[in-house]
Amino acid sequence: MSSDEEAEEYLFKIVIIGDSAVGKSNLLSRYARNEFNMHSKATIGVEFQTQSMEIEGKEVKAQIWDTAGQERFRAVTSAYYRGAVGALLVYDISRRTTFDSVGRWLDELTTHSDTTVARMLVGNKCDLDNIRAVSIDEGKSLAEEHGLFFMETSAKDSTNVRTAFEMVIKEIYSSVSRKVLNSDSYKAQLSLNRVSIVDDEKKQTQGNSCCSR
Amino acid sequence: MKNTVNSTANTNNDPIDDDTVATLDSRFNQTLKSVQGMLKGRSFPGKVLLTRRTEPFDASGINGSPREYMRSFSQNDVGPSEQGDKSEQSPSTDDSDSNAALSKSKSSDSPFNTSKDSQKTLLSARATDSARVVRAIRHPASGYVQGINDLVTPFLVVFLSEHLEGNVDTWSTLDLPEDIIANVEADCYWCLSKLLDGMQDHYTFAQPGIQRLVFKLRELVRRIDEPVSRHMEEQGLEFLQFAFRWFNCLLIREIPFPLVTRLWDTYLAEGDALPDFLVYIAARDGNVPSTPTNPQLDRPRIRDGAFKSIYVAYH
Repeated sequence: MSSDEEAEEYLFKIVIIGDSAVGKSNLLSRYARNEFNMHSKATIGVEFQTQSMEIEGKEVKAQIWDTAGQERFRAVTSAYYRGAVGALLVYDISRRTTFDSVGRWLDELTTHSDTTVARMLVGNKCDLDNIRAVSIDEGKSLAEEHGLFFMETSAKDSTNVRTAFEMVIKEIYSSVSRKVLNSDSYKAQLSLNRVSIVDDEKKQTQGNSCCSR
Repeated sequence: MKNTVNSTANTNNDPIDDDTVATLDSRFNQTLKSVQGMLKGRSFPGKVLLTRRTEPFDASGINGSPREYMRSFSQNDVGPSEQGDKSEQSPSTDDSDSNAALSKSKSSDSPFNTSKDSQKTLLSARATDSARVVRAIRHPASGYVQGINDLVTPFLVVFLSEHLEGNVDTWSTLDLPEDIIANVEADCYWCLSKLLDGMQDHYTFAQPGIQRLVFKLRELVRRIDEPVSRHMEEQGLEFLQFAFRWFNCLLIREIPFPLVTRLWDTYLAEGDALPDFLVYIAARDGNVPSTPTNPQLDRPRIRDGAFKSIYVAYH
C-alpha cells in the first residue's frame, strides 16, 4: 500500500495444487513461458514462475508456486501455502480420481491459507475429450457448490490457460484494490477521535453481549 | 519379484513368456529413451526428461502372477495413513499418452489392462520400475516417492554402458538379449537399495530425514556465510523452498548429468555418512536458485572443495 501512485506495484502469490500428473507444471509453463513438455518430470517440493500482466495501467506480478502433487510431499507442500492470495485447484478431466480428490485439496487449502484466497477449479487436459471421465457440468456444479471459479483448460493446446490465470489475478486485484481504497479512505477520514469512538463502540458491543448472556 | 532379484544369479532360467518379453523390451526402450532425453536436454533445471511420473508398475513385467503381486504391493504400500498414495499408484491414474504398440504388447490378463490403457503410454521404464516397485514392497513404510526414479538413472546408464557403445542417444535395448536386460534390471535394483538403505527415513511419512538435512543445511550456511543467510532471511526465502528437492533427488536435477556418475561413486563410498555428506555438498553448491522473492539473490561463492573440483572439471 505504497502512497506513491506511480510506482505502485502488485505482487500476488498464487499456488497451483491438485493430484499428481494433472498438468500443474505444464499449465504454469504454458502460461509463463508458452512451453509444453509432454515428458516433464514430477515436481519435487515446489517450483516458481513469475508472470506480469497489466490491469488498469498497473503492472501486476503473479508469483506462481507450482507444488508437488504426490501425497507424500503434502507435509511439505502445505508450508508453501502461506501468504497465497490465489489458488488454482487442478484436476484431470480424463481421470476421475483426480476429480474426486478436489474436496481434499479444498480442505487442505482452507486449513493452510486465508479464506479470502481467490480460488478456481481447473479441469485440465480438455483436449482429451474422447476419454473424458468428468463432464463439464460436474465440474461446474462442484465449483458452484464451493464458490469457486471454474474453467476447463488444455496446457497442451493452450486452451483457456491464459484466461484462467488472468481471471484469478484480476479477481485478486479487484479484491485487493477494494481493500486499498477502503484503507485509503480510512486514512483520509479517520482522526484519532474516530478511532477511539470505534474502540468505544467495540467495548460497548462487547459489554452488551456480556449483559445479554 | 523373486525372479527379478535372483536374475543375476540364474538369468537364463527365468520363465518369461514371449508376450512378456515383448512388453519388457518396449518398456525398457522407453526408459532408455527417457534417459537419452535426459542426457540430451542437459540444461537445467526442470527440463530434463525422465520417467515423468509414478506410473503403476505393470506386474506382468516382473513375474507370472500379477494379481498376487499387485495385492501385496497395494497392501504394503498404501497404508491407512496414506490414502493419497493410492491415487498415485492405482492403475487408474495412468495418464500417459497413447502408444498403441505398447499397450498391445501388454499381457491381456494384467489387472491394469483397463480400457483406458489403450490410449496410454508406458512411459516409465522397466528397470527403474521394477527397482522402485520392488523396493516399495520391501520398505512398506516408505513406498514409492516421486524422485526415487531419478536416482536409478545413473545406475542404469552405467550398467548399460557395459553392453552398449557410443553415444547414449543411439543406444537401443533391441540390441540386447533378454538375460542381459534382466541382469541390468537386477543390478539397478540392488544398487538403488544400497543407496537408499542409509536414508531410511528420507522417504517415509513427512520425510523427516530430508527435513532434518534441510535444517542442517540452514544451520551450516548460517555458520559459514552469515551474510547470505541473513539476506535470505530478510527476503523471506526458506531453505525448504529449494533444498527439499536437492535432498529428495540427491542433487541429480541440479548437477549436469555427465558429472552425476562421479557423484554417485562418492555417494556410495560415503555409505552411512551420506546424509551428512549431502549437507556439505549442498552447502558448496553455488546453485542457489533464483526465487520469486528475490530473483537476483547473490549466489554464494563456490568455495574450495569437492563441489568446486567437480564444477571445474565440468567447465
